[in-house]
Amino acid sequence: MTGTTECSRHALDGIVVLDLSGPMGNYCGKLFADLGADVILVEPATGVPTRGMEPMISGHEGAEASLVYQYQNTNKRSVVLDLEHAGGQQSLRALVKGADLLIESEHPGVMHARGLDYQTLRKINPALVMASITPFGQSGPYADWQAEDIVGLALGGMLYLGGYTDTAPIAAFGDQAISAANLFAAVAAMAALYDAEASGSGQHIDISMQECVVMGLENAVQFYDLEGVVRKRTAGKQRLAGTGVFRCKDGYIYLMAGGVVGNRFWPITTQWLLDEGVEGAQALADPRWLSQDFLATDEARKIFLDIFNPFVLAHTKQELHEKGRARRIPIAPVYDTSDLEHREQLRHREYFVSTPGPYGTLLRMPGAPYKLSATPWSLRHGAPRLGEHTQEILAQVGATAQSLARIEASGEIQ
Amino acid sequence: MKRLLHGVTVADFTWIGAGAYATKLLADLGADVIKIETSTRLDSLRVGRPFKDKIPGVNRSGYFADRNSSKRSITINLKHAEGLVLVKKLVARANLVANNFTPGIMDKLGLSYDVVKQIRPDIVYASMSMQGATGPDCKDLGYGLTIGAVTGIQHLIGLPDREPAGTGTNYPDHIPNPGHAAFAMIAALRHQRRTGQGQVVDIAQTEPPMAMIGPSIMNYLVNRKVDGRRGNAHPAMAPHGVYPCRGEDRWIAIAVASDAQWSALRQVLGLPDKPEWSHKTGRLADRDTLDNLVAESTRDRHAIPLMEALQKAGVAAGAVHDASDVLTHDPQLAARGHWLVMDHPEMGPSTYNSAPFRFSDADSAPSSPAPLLGQHTREICREFMSLDDVEIDRLVECGALI
Repeated sequence: MTGTTECSRHALDGIVVLDLSGPMGNYCGKLFADLGADVILVEPATGVPTRGMEPMISGHEGAEASLVYQYQNTNKRSVVLDLEHAGGQQSLRALVKGADLLIESEHPGVMHARGLDYQTLRKINPALVMASITPFGQSGPYADWQAEDIVGLALGGMLYLGGYTDTAPIAAFGDQAISAANLFAAVAAMAALYDAEASGSGQHIDISMQECVVMGLENAVQFYDLEGVVRKRTAGKQRLAGTGVFRCKDGYIYLMAGGVVGNRFWPITTQWLLDEGVEGAQALADPRWLSQDFLATDEARKIFLDIFNPFVLAHTKQELHEKGRARRIPIAPVYDTSDLEHREQLRHREYFVSTPGPYGTLLRMPGAPYKLSATPWSLRHGAPRLGEHTQEILAQVGATAQSLARIEASGEIQ
Repeated sequence: MKRLLHGVTVADFTWIGAGAYATKLLADLGADVIKIETSTRLDSLRVGRPFKDKIPGVNRSGYFADRNSSKRSITINLKHAEGLVLVKKLVARANLVANNFTPGIMDKLGLSYDVVKQIRPDIVYASMSMQGATGPDCKDLGYGLTIGAVTGIQHLIGLPDREPAGTGTNYPDHIPNPGHAAFAMIAALRHQRRTGQGQVVDIAQTEPPMAMIGPSIMNYLVNRKVDGRRGNAHPAMAPHGVYPCRGEDRWIAIAVASDAQWSALRQVLGLPDKPEWSHKTGRLADRDTLDNLVAESTRDRHAIPLMEALQKAGVAAGAVHDASDVLTHDPQLAARGHWLVMDHPEMGPSTYNSAPFRFSDADSAPSSPAPLLGQHTREICREFMSLDDVEIDRLVECGALI
């Protein structure tokens, strides 16, 4: 579909997206919707699975109550189609005719069984981009396996790096493996659309959650490949002396005095502690502290902690943040979600946005993850009610559906 | 096969973590990403471990290499008057200018948006500072782990009665920020091509990580509930966790999402049963008891065969892979060809991540290993600035191209 070329208000004006997914794709669809694409959420009569995910709006349950659903489906429209039956499949094929991108997250083979695989759909629309997001990809020995988020984190290697030295590995919070799959799918789909708009030829994209998690392993794989060292989890002790979480007067701070290549922050951190009159800080000025090998020893960790602890425990996270900021030392308060609301910086950037939600609630949520000066991110409306736009969308494609039915009956599309 | 961003030129001023990773995604997708460096102030990843054969060197870091595949490198001294002229010639031919400096640095270098816009009116000008271009905290210095701290991510991971554990990595640098940045950059490039309009893309590296814990932030903003650390527990699944296996530091992750999966898990592990455990509510109520039962049963088994047996029975289970497992032992990553060995001019054959997606009709794997420092200075000067070798020699000698 083409939009206006002169006065586009949104970066993705004119792009039509069909989002057939659930948790493994709804955030991908949101990224397109929030930059102006017309994203149609295609739901079964029972609703997308995201509708059942916690947390819920307090005191409510049912199809509109999930905050996960409300967050991941802003700016979309909803159509109910039964893709298990011929009528629904035919309506979907009609929608595909006018669509640029289809996002789906079924187990490999399901779309084929429905007559909705890429080979079939590209005959209807050669420029169609189809993103298939699954735990392990469309083929290979794990292709049919089950995976929740924690399994993706495990087999992708991130889980092993999380947690304390004396406990089991501990998973990241908030479905980060699933989020990573959504995000990389969005990058790949955006690139494929960029090409398809010029070439007229689309792509099928096969996205693996496991592989997306592997992208988050930092330098762990290269450490093994080049130095034969398997990186392990480090929480509970300083990653290197001077780098890690420290308890302070009213919570925790994260300090990175020794964790940066070249140790450029070590001398200024030492100077800071000297200026504060911290007892024993002179010891940190010894040249051996400039070696990362020394910082990696238990001896260095202990000396640093003994010197730093009395000082850090006597100050609040805000005081420490401001003192460190004045000297350009990377030290940051560990905030919880309630701290974020009052941050002046986020208020200045109008980061949090609101939209009326179900049950008379006002839904406040994170807004623009990027500010585009000419075509800004925007929250035009909240997530749709189940099937809210079924009539208008089916009316829109009704004629197409009928003509497709005739073509299918004639055997041109199998 | 074709590459999807073929024809896009990027003048890349990013370095270190998230910035260089974002432009790497574009480079692997086929954009011509020209990394603008100088030997007088190195990208610190160039001198960060791990090194090939453990020998330090500006062209030997595996971390740098993986973050800079498919790019070309030119060394230009931007503080030299002629260096600035050269870089402006490059910018004039670019679709996208990217940086991840603290706000103000590009202005000081003489490459503010206003200046660049004069040279190239339709430029997409992407900046990735820690806190964004303006505001009271805009001069803050940021690294992945301090970003994790101020966004709530660090706080949310770990055990409730212990210090926040975080992911153990600079997570925001690897997935949330490069992913969102690359998406926004390509979207802006699409708008540029359709309308001829350029723009600023201002990314605060604190904001994409918060977007990735959106529902938890909403739980506070809407419900006034502050989420805390919960180990490996899940609000809607039990058993759900990481359980010990045979061997040193070997573990398996298991998640039971349905009653049928519980029954399958029970059979594979030979667990005792209680009628109330056949429903989610009953299992969630006895979460700790179930975790202990599962752990007792997994402790003497090897993770890989147990994972296979559980998967065969329809239970979501995965061995907790370490870096050597993902690189050398995982048959799925191998079948997908995730690891790519490319012959680097100084490091020799070395391992790179492929992109985590495959296209039916286009390439997605990196096209070349990371560049040596200044490896492409001469060819870029010839291609983009129409300089001949005599002139290039002079610019090297006078300190503009170093």
